[in-house]
Amino acid sequence: MTTMTRAAAAVTLRGITRVYGRGSTAVRAVDDVTLTFPRGSWTAVMGPSGSGKSTLLHCAAGLEQVDAGQVLIGDTDLTAAGDAALTALRRTRIGFVFQSFNLIGSLTAEQNVALPLRLAGRRPARADVRATLARVGLADRARHRPREMSGGQQQRVAIARAMVTRPDVLFADEPTGALDSAAARTVLDLLREMADSGQSIVMVTHDPGAAARADAVVFLRDGRVVDRLAGADAHQVADRLAAWERS
Amino acid sequence: MMLRMSRAGLAERWPLFAGAFLSVTLGVALVQSSLLLLISAATMDPPAGLDAAGRMAFADNADASVALLGVVLGTATFLAMFIISSTFAFTVAQRRRDLALLRLVGGSRGQLRRLLLGEAVLLGTLGATAGVPAGLGVMAIQSELLAAQGFVPDGFVAEWRPWILAVSFGTGLLLAIAGVLVAARRGARVRPLDALRETGDAGRAMTAGRWIAALLFLGGALTLIIVAPHGGPAGGQAMATNVPTLAAVTIAALSPLLVPLAGRLAPTGGGVAGMLARANLADSRRRSASVAAPLIVLVALVVGNVGAGTSFTASGVAEMRRDTRADLVVDATGPIGARIRAVPGVASASTETSLPATVIAGRGEDAEAEAATAMVVDPAAYAAAHSSPSLAALHGRAVAAGPGGDMPSRGTVRVTLPDLDLGELPVVAALPETMAGGTNLLLPPGLVPADRLAAAPTRSFVTLTADADPAAVRAALSRIGTVSDLDAWLLADAEQRNSTNDKIMLIVLGLGGLYALIGVINSAVIGAATRRREFAEARVTGMTRGQVIRSALLESWAVTVAGLLLGAVAAGATFLAVLTTTSAVTGQATLDLPWPLIAAVAAAAVLVTSVTSLITSWSATRERPVALLGARE
Repeated sequence: MTTMTRAAAAVTLRGITRVYGRGSTAVRAVDDVTLTFPRGSWTAVMGPSGSGKSTLLHCAAGLEQVDAGQVLIGDTDLTAAGDAALTALRRTRIGFVFQSFNLIGSLTAEQNVALPLRLAGRRPARADVRATLARVGLADRARHRPREMSGGQQQRVAIARAMVTRPDVLFADEPTGALDSAAARTVLDLLREMADSGQSIVMVTHDPGAAARADAVVFLRDGRVVDRLAGADAHQVADRLAAWERS
Repeated sequence: MMLRMSRAGLAERWPLFAGAFLSVTLGVALVQSSLLLLISAATMDPPAGLDAAGRMAFADNADASVALLGVVLGTATFLAMFIISSTFAFTVAQRRRDLALLRLVGGSRGQLRRLLLGEAVLLGTLGATAGVPAGLGVMAIQSELLAAQGFVPDGFVAEWRPWILAVSFGTGLLLAIAGVLVAARRGARVRPLDALRETGDAGRAMTAGRWIAALLFLGGALTLIIVAPHGGPAGGQAMATNVPTLAAVTIAALSPLLVPLAGRLAPTGGGVAGMLARANLADSRRRSASVAAPLIVLVALVVGNVGAGTSFTASGVAEMRRDTRADLVVDATGPIGARIRAVPGVASASTETSLPATVIAGRGEDAEAEAATAMVVDPAAYAAAHSSPSLAALHGRAVAAGPGGDMPSRGTVRVTLPDLDLGELPVVAALPETMAGGTNLLLPPGLVPADRLAAAPTRSFVTLTADADPAAVRAALSRIGTVSDLDAWLLADAEQRNSTNDKIMLIVLGLGGLYALIGVINSAVIGAATRRREFAEARVTGMTRGQVIRSALLESWAVTVAGLLLGAVAAGATFLAVLTTTSAVTGQATLDLPWPLIAAVAAAAVLVTSVTSLITSWSATRERPVALLGARE
């Protein structure tokens, strides 16, 4: 790792564009977006549905190719990376959490968490895996399978799985979208705690309450960045979102 | 690590793996049994104590069973390859989301490929382990069938060979790996983002590989259809009976394209269940195609081959009826020609005595001995009774090639009768081969010593004089042998030919057809295994459980109709070759379709897919939909 020369930004987007379809039916889901997500900080991306916020996240995480522009994770240019390089990146420097927890049903919580390390060819120490599970408050659920857990617990396992590789950036796509408010609060508390201890997080959400827990909120409309708020509470975020939806 | 994932995967998606396992087990069992039977027939020794004639008859019979078992083995191997590879490919396609998820958390393409290949090795080994003992059971059934239908000489015993273990495990592993190889490459290319798509079929269902396979097999099928009429009766029949396989693979390769189209022809009613069924048929083309594919092969093989068989038989019977000139037929033993001609009222009689023979054609290294049937005939009477070209040259030390073919039409052949070497004889005439076949070699009178003919089966085609009293002639002839009217004799002959054809089809296609039917069930179960969520979603949208089950049933009905129709198209390609071949050989295009069998195959297919659909959708909707949707993975 190039610890010495690390860029200040965890993720840098330079004029990225992503177009779906062709000709008259073409949709510019992300339209010439330039944005930086600062290191050690939690940024929420908000916008009405169809604003391109999920596409933006997928492009930033290298899950989707951009049609123009450049995506950097730290200093690494994703737009120039091949499949093998992207795979290596997913193993070491990027973590994902999604609305639908995407755990593997046949594996226990412990095995799910250890999976990225195993795929990377590392033999995970049981203590590390247990410690990661303990961090998300599930030390006692290590041997449970996903179907034996509540939604909030499953999402916390997913977070543990994303964190076990100590990624540079954690990408979260509507992480609380499928949870009740109590479970959502637990997950947001966990993310807050992680951000406070230096974890870079990029989160897409449509919930102003969730966005207000982040350090900064970026608003997206029609594939473009239209606004940015820092340190706002839920009401301010909701008002700003409503304003952009009205106009 | 990957093996552990494989095992964990096995436990979770068990219907997928059970289906793949079953396809390997039954495929290995069928191939192993057919191979052992073929080897046993090929190395069979005549029982001790047979005289020379008995040994020759035994050799002829053994040759015929080897040829038949060769076809059985070919069919079994083709079915095993087709069903195992399509089942494995389908299980991979069904797990697209699981694979994408592994990519998402850092799995490389190579790891996914290794995971899928590891599973294939595991399933191939397990399948072969179960397939070897299952093969013994299949062999018992096949031997029983062969013996009951009289296709193997008495005392035939199917034998176990120790090396078959290696062959069976090799077959299971090879077919499983071959089946998964292409699918694994494709599965490993899945995009990580696909893990986030809740439902929906794997992108493009028509891959380049499918197009290439379709074009190759289409080319093969067209070639056979074009060449078959020029291949003579034996060649033409052989080529026509290979058309169903090629046409079926062509259509199965195109099935993601064709099945939704053909499925629209099935009436599915106007209700909401029908609407959903039609939408699912068009949307999940990969699944529809995978269920329809074994059905297409089943229909093409069974209807195509049996239809070709009955048509060729009908063509041969019509040809016999057209060409045979006689009033009565006498079956007896020994040299009865002179006695028949002496009966008052008999104008002429072609008396034909059959003998087993061995024919050696070619010289030195190329010399090839073949079991054959020879017939001692009166050349002039034979030509008259069978409307054949003149046999005037057939006298003294000479032979003619008979309508059964397989003989050189010029040069010399060395003919051996049981315990008697007739030496090198010139072939002085060659009768055209007929659809009905017959003896391979015609011998002139006087060539074979009389004592050899004394006990040989003899048949005489008798023509009466214009003023003869049929009843009196009949009475006189019945003192010589069994007498039949020509019409009655032709009818009996046709019946015997049809029954032989039916028996051959039963041996060749009976167990294979059953295997293909199990392949259909297999695909239907695999297709339903990943649909619990989809069903639950339909129910929370307001459909009742009954409506969901009815919709799944209608969808399965439409897929079945599509499979039957497309299978019929493949069978139809065969019938094209049958029509042109029979027309080229006999001058009359003949098609005689086994309608009861066609109806039975269609009914069995609809019954089996409907019951499977009912059971799978009933069991997939047992849980409360909300509970199912809550447990996200």
